[in-house]
Amino acid sequence: MTTTCRWEAAESPSAAPGTPPPPAPERGTGATGRSRRRRGWALLIFAAIVVSAVAAGIGREQVIKSEGAGSLFDFFAAAASPRLDADFLALTGTAMLTTLAYAVLGTALSLVIGLIGGILTSQAWWESGVRTRRGRRLAGWGLARAVLVVPRGIHEVVWGLFFLVVFGIDPIVAVLAIGIPFGAVTAKVFSELLDETGRRPYTALVAAGSSKWSAMLYGLLPPALPDLISYGFYRFECAIRSAAILGLVGAGGLGFQLALSFQTLRYPEIWTLLFALILLSVAADYWSSLVRSARARGRQRSRDGGGVRRDPLLTASLVFGAVLIGLSSWWIGLDIAVLWSGKAWEFGIQLLSDAWPPSVGDTGFGGLLMLAGVTLAMSIVAITIAFALGAVFAVPASTPAQGRDHIERGAMARIGRTTAMLASRFVLVVLRAIPPPVWALLLLFVMYPGILPGAIALAIYTTGVLGRLMAESVDNLDARPLRAIRSTGASASKVFCYGVIPAAAPRFVAYGLYRWEVTIRETVVVGVVGAGGLGLLLQHQISAFNYAGALTTLAMLILLTLVVDITSAAIRRSVR
Amino acid sequence: MSSPIFALDGVGVSYGKNTALARVDLTVEPGERIAIIGPSGAGKSTLIGVLNGTVAATSGEVTALGCDYRRAPAREIRKSQRRVGTIHQRFDLVEQLRTVHNVNAGRLGSWPFWKAALSLLLPRDVQRVRAALDRVGIGDKLHHRTGDLSGGEQQRVAIARVLVQDPVMILADEPVASIDPARGREIMSLLLELSAEAGVTLLACLHDVDMALGSFERVVGLRAGQIAFDKKRADLTDDEVDALYAFERATEPR
Ligand SMILES: Nc1ncnc2c1ncn2[C@@H]1O[C@H](COP(=O)(O)OP(=O)(O)O)[C@@H](O)[C@H]1O
Ligand SMILES: [Mg+2]
Repeated sequence: MTTTCRWEAAESPSAAPGTPPPPAPERGTGATGRSRRRRGWALLIFAAIVVSAVAAGIGREQVIKSEGAGSLFDFFAAAASPRLDADFLALTGTAMLTTLAYAVLGTALSLVIGLIGGILTSQAWWESGVRTRRGRRLAGWGLARAVLVVPRGIHEVVWGLFFLVVFGIDPIVAVLAIGIPFGAVTAKVFSELLDETGRRPYTALVAAGSSKWSAMLYGLLPPALPDLISYGFYRFECAIRSAAILGLVGAGGLGFQLALSFQTLRYPEIWTLLFALILLSVAADYWSSLVRSARARGRQRSRDGGGVRRDPLLTASLVFGAVLIGLSSWWIGLDIAVLWSGKAWEFGIQLLSDAWPPSVGDTGFGGLLMLAGVTLAMSIVAITIAFALGAVFAVPASTPAQGRDHIERGAMARIGRTTAMLASRFVLVVLRAIPPPVWALLLLFVMYPGILPGAIALAIYTTGVLGRLMAESVDNLDARPLRAIRSTGASASKVFCYGVIPAAAPRFVAYGLYRWEVTIRETVVVGVVGAGGLGLLLQHQISAFNYAGALTTLAMLILLTLVVDITSAAIRRSVR
Repeated sequence: MSSPIFALDGVGVSYGKNTALARVDLTVEPGERIAIIGPSGAGKSTLIGVLNGTVAATSGEVTALGCDYRRAPAREIRKSQRRVGTIHQRFDLVEQLRTVHNVNAGRLGSWPFWKAALSLLLPRDVQRVRAALDRVGIGDKLHHRTGDLSGGEQQRVAIARVLVQDPVMILADEPVASIDPARGREIMSLLLELSAEAGVTLLACLHDVDMALGSFERVVGLRAGQIAFDKKRADLTDDEVDALYAFERATEPR
């Protein structure tokens, strides 16, 4: 499962793949220089956290609404009595299938975009052929990559709102809103997977006069395919969560039903829907991790010289996936004819011409910068909390395995350890199954609207994602040093302090930073709770049909995302 | 007499400051069988690359089958490339694919994309593939995964691929370097036999000097990117061969 690590790192848009990371600015060379740089970053991060906490209003404003504690209690009490009558169950089931169908079709679209985009942004594509000049090649490659930056920087929800205007309420909205940004991310990861694959068979085919597409098909895709597929399953898992969020903004499915039930505060209904969402999410996570761990084993085997083997699980999953695609388009009645309907084009062009030229609006450019600062603060508070909580859950959630486990292996201890693992995994999956806006709505029972509930909602959700990634990285720790420490007679806690923490910490930090990049994009979706920042402004502007303003805000958001990505990449380099 | 298959005129290839080939003149006439020998790093693989159009010459003129690699449009170049088959030092086969597909990959140059894609699902022209595999002696391996075959068998698959490509010229870059000597001699004589049978021109880089001297009429010695000699086998002396492989003198700039 080291694959996740590579993907997550690769998804960051600023880490230019293929080109080796530029050497960090060297002042002091060697180990001392590195540790000085690290100390510098640590100080900077600490300062950023403090400033963000203050900006978010911690310790300054009245944030806790004590009178809401009763409602919150009622809400959780209702968990024991969800609405289970036949009517509502049927409704929930229908909504569940719709959300699933959105996720399946969105993923399918993203794979198509990703495959074509990945080929067109791979170095293999641009570097082959005897005549193309170096300058032209670099320009083509750079351009192809640049084209993908924008769709990647815009959150699914924003795409969803855009397509809602263009197509009205139509299943195509969710499919496009998931497929386009996911496709751009997937293209990036695919291009890296392709470039990591040995290029000799491909070059040999080009040398024999084959066209590049045919050469790709025979020479480069077959070896890369298992990794591509297993990445596709990881994307599917993410797509389920996105499909739910898209429902909240009106695209239908579980999210939409949740929004309705929240408006009328029918707790038992909310719980039924939440359980359905959790069920779907758990199933998707499980399927995806089955496929991915099978793939990881396959890679291990071929590294050990066992040759390449067909993987029955992968094949079966693929066939099942294909069937799901067919069923899904039937279920939601997908009709891609709307894509070239005159009306949709008219709306789309109308919207774009309204948006052009972009305008700064009444807050002025300074106001926009202020809001960008607020957004940044929200993301920093969120990721700080999520990092701490994620790390706390990750350790018990990791797989207890031979030689890696730091807990003594008595029968009781083993049962305890397994229980802890299952419990923490369960907590993590629930945290990430429920979309951040829902967490935010729940927080509003006990908090006043503002940045803090937004940040905490993002933190809760991110904890679920981050905790899982961290647990996987503990799973992948090299067992030998741990055994060596234990063999000196060290106690379990000493093994943990000297073996596990130092080895896992850099990866935790790397994942934390990567999720920070994702979180800054996700600040958009907690705008519903009046969490300030660019996300809220964007939501206001869109609902007021102020598209010129929205375009400016969007550009600012993409810029901010880019700044965060670059900062994060710089920190990751110094940690490595 | 017909025009030469390849004409290299003062060809140089450099990677940054590193010069892989310098001022190479070489003409290949139809039907010739040429061995290229030289120590490793001499530029043999680079020369093969120049001939099949995967390495761009940084200076000089390359004409392959009447097509100027540096000026002709991409389509023309591909047409020439289609008629030049290459067998590589390390096999350029895709281990994950079945043998039939790896052999059919030799046809990609003449197939449209849709046919290439379709063939991965329903193998096309199986008869022709089977005939080629029979010819190289592994007709029963048609549907085996290529990665499961032995080194020698894989090399035969590579030859079968070139056979279905139906080229006028075969380039071979140390075709037997990675298999045991007995198997290597078998494959080498197969290659010579096939080229003689079909009247295909053959140019092979060889590590094994005895093999080169034993079976080729013309031998080209390459050293440090330059042609040291280019002679009929009969005119070649042992001293010239020894000099080719002698250690570089310390005074020579590196
Ligand atoms: N892609 C490349 N980049 C830089 N140098 C190269 C490259 N390919 C070959 N060379 C250099 O060119 C010289 C000739 O290499 P090569 O043609 O592979 O020799 P041979 O096949 O005779 O062993 C060597 O010095 C090698 O290091
Ligand atoms: Mg070589």
